[in-house]
Amino acid sequence: MPQSPSLSAAAGPKRPTELLRALFRRNETVLLVCLVALIVFFSFASGTFLTTRNITNVLGQASLAMIAGIGIGVVVLAGEIDVSIGSLVGAVGIPLVVVMNQTGSLELGMAAALLLALGVGVANGYLAAYLGINSLIVTLGTMFVIRGGIYLYTGQRAISDDLQLESFYQMGNGRLLGTVPYPALVALVLLVAFVYLMRHRPFGRQIYAVGGNPEVARLAGYNVKRLKFAAFVICSLLAGISGILLSSRLGSAVHVAGLGFEFQVVAAVVLGGVSLAGGVGSLLGVALGVLILAFLSNGLGMLNIATEWQLVITGLIIIAAVAFDELKRRRQ
Amino acid sequence: MSETTQAAKPAPVLGRLAENSQIVLLGLLVLLCIGISLGSPQFYSVENIIAILRQCSLVLIVAAGMTMLLIAAEVDLSVGASLAFSGVVAMDVTNKTGSVALGVLAGILFGGAVGLFNGLVVTRLRVNSLIATIATMMILQGSVFLYSREAVQNKHQQVAFTEISTGYVGPVPIPVIIAAVVFVAAFIVLRYTTIGRYIYAVGANQKAARLSGIRPERLKLLVFVVTGLLTGLAGLILTSLMNAGQPTAGRGFELTVIAAVILGGTSLLGGRGTLIGTLLGVLVLKVIDNGIIILRWDQNLQMVVPGVVIIVATYLDLIRSRANAR
Repeated sequence: MPQSPSLSAAAGPKRPTELLRALFRRNETVLLVCLVALIVFFSFASGTFLTTRNITNVLGQASLAMIAGIGIGVVVLAGEIDVSIGSLVGAVGIPLVVVMNQTGSLELGMAAALLLALGVGVANGYLAAYLGINSLIVTLGTMFVIRGGIYLYTGQRAISDDLQLESFYQMGNGRLLGTVPYPALVALVLLVAFVYLMRHRPFGRQIYAVGGNPEVARLAGYNVKRLKFAAFVICSLLAGISGILLSSRLGSAVHVAGLGFEFQVVAAVVLGGVSLAGGVGSLLGVALGVLILAFLSNGLGMLNIATEWQLVITGLIIIAAVAFDELKRRRQ
Repeated sequence: MSETTQAAKPAPVLGRLAENSQIVLLGLLVLLCIGISLGSPQFYSVENIIAILRQCSLVLIVAAGMTMLLIAAEVDLSVGASLAFSGVVAMDVTNKTGSVALGVLAGILFGGAVGLFNGLVVTRLRVNSLIATIATMMILQGSVFLYSREAVQNKHQQVAFTEISTGYVGPVPIPVIIAAVVFVAAFIVLRYTTIGRYIYAVGANQKAARLSGIRPERLKLLVFVVTGLLTGLAGLILTSLMNAGQPTAGRGFELTVIAAVILGGTSLLGGRGTLIGTLLGVLVLKVIDNGIIILRWDQNLQMVVPGVVIIVATYLDLIRSRANAR
């Protein structure tokens, strides 16, 4: 993510030493350093790590969590949480594949998938923002309902893609010019768009305000409910996109797809420095958090370390990172 | 349920409020029982009621700890993973030492150690408990497979070990008795002891509690350890029930437990909640589960219905408290 230093420099003071210090006070810089250190370490430790093929592979794998992570980032910045995305990521594959099988059109399938995501976002947003039910409870509820709905509809079997469209396969597995995976491109475009939205548009600033202190935001004349509602809809739509790409990678609608995905993404978002209390953090941080976890898991795999150890190490790193972040915040 | 369970304020208005919250749940439970028994008279058979109680016991044991944690404004998502791991440890130690007592002790202590770890990370390192326990969940899910690739069977076919879950005292299954004892103990601690009062105080306003001389960190650590020990106990019972320690057991168990506690009216923000509510929450969820089975509905509804029930119950509770606030 080369744009991180330039963006933070733009916001910092002008003298070189101060600039450097300001740079290192930024959470994103620390994360970037960690990411680079991680990549350097694994390049030395494993001969096959630093190859174009492997790096682009990791970017492709990370993009699903990245896309969903942007959405979770927005929701958490708005002071709420959404744990239903794992179920939703699994669910959107069903309308996608079913509509595609029946109509023969990828576009219609994707429209149906996004419509489902929109519906879930509207439901979550309405229940949490307008009715004022705690968002953890709401999305825990919808998480159950959606996953149960998947099982009911599919009878706990995967729905295969009978059409076998090349364009559907290419979406999740294809590469631009044979190198950059399409999901990574989608993630990058969305990331740039949402970083711009959150940093430079009134909507983004208002989300920060709402998450930081809803009462002050309300007194400042922002429509707190509408902003939170919008955050939920954005989050679900992004999870929908992530789910479409996932079913393309899997080549079918798998009923257990996305199980536990919400925990991974929330962990990456918090690792990226977004505070669960709301209003603090950045989407660049989220992107770096996702990349760190992705490269970590890939690098450990390259060193032939069992996936079980990867889970253990990831868990420990999350605790260490959040504890370090908390320590830094208290010092300041 | 004539008593109020609100902390520190014996005002009659608050008393009626707490009562109301449970009356909604109780009404729901009664309606469910009537509805299901109309559809299938076998609902009221002794076997079925014992089956429901047996299923409740596992959730209730952990939910008792989780209620205290939520009241103290913390949460533990690692209980599902810890449940599986403590079961595996209990079975393995029983196999290796030949002593059921040692296995039981090891399983419960393992759960307690996980609780201690969670508590230290949350209170010393100041990591948000939602994130800390997600991380612990990952660590446990990974390390349980490092500990044992496959299910640990009851190699010496120790009858005493299976008796923990299948045995009876009179007509009552042992797990139900264990759950009842845990429940009563937790109920007394939370309502009638200073520690219980402090838990409410810390959850409602940590700063105020600290200023009045309570040590929130120690108290929270204690509640994490208690939840861990209870999880170890539940893991032990589950393992005894399956007659093997399954590394994959308990997936999603944390969500069922939290759902039951929330359904019982315990606030996620801390400082508010009752164990009676949790008991009713567990009963409602398990009666729904049971009803879906004996009415021969699609079993996948067992996920959908609780999801809807949690949201609706929380919303009703919200409306009621708003109406009372006016």
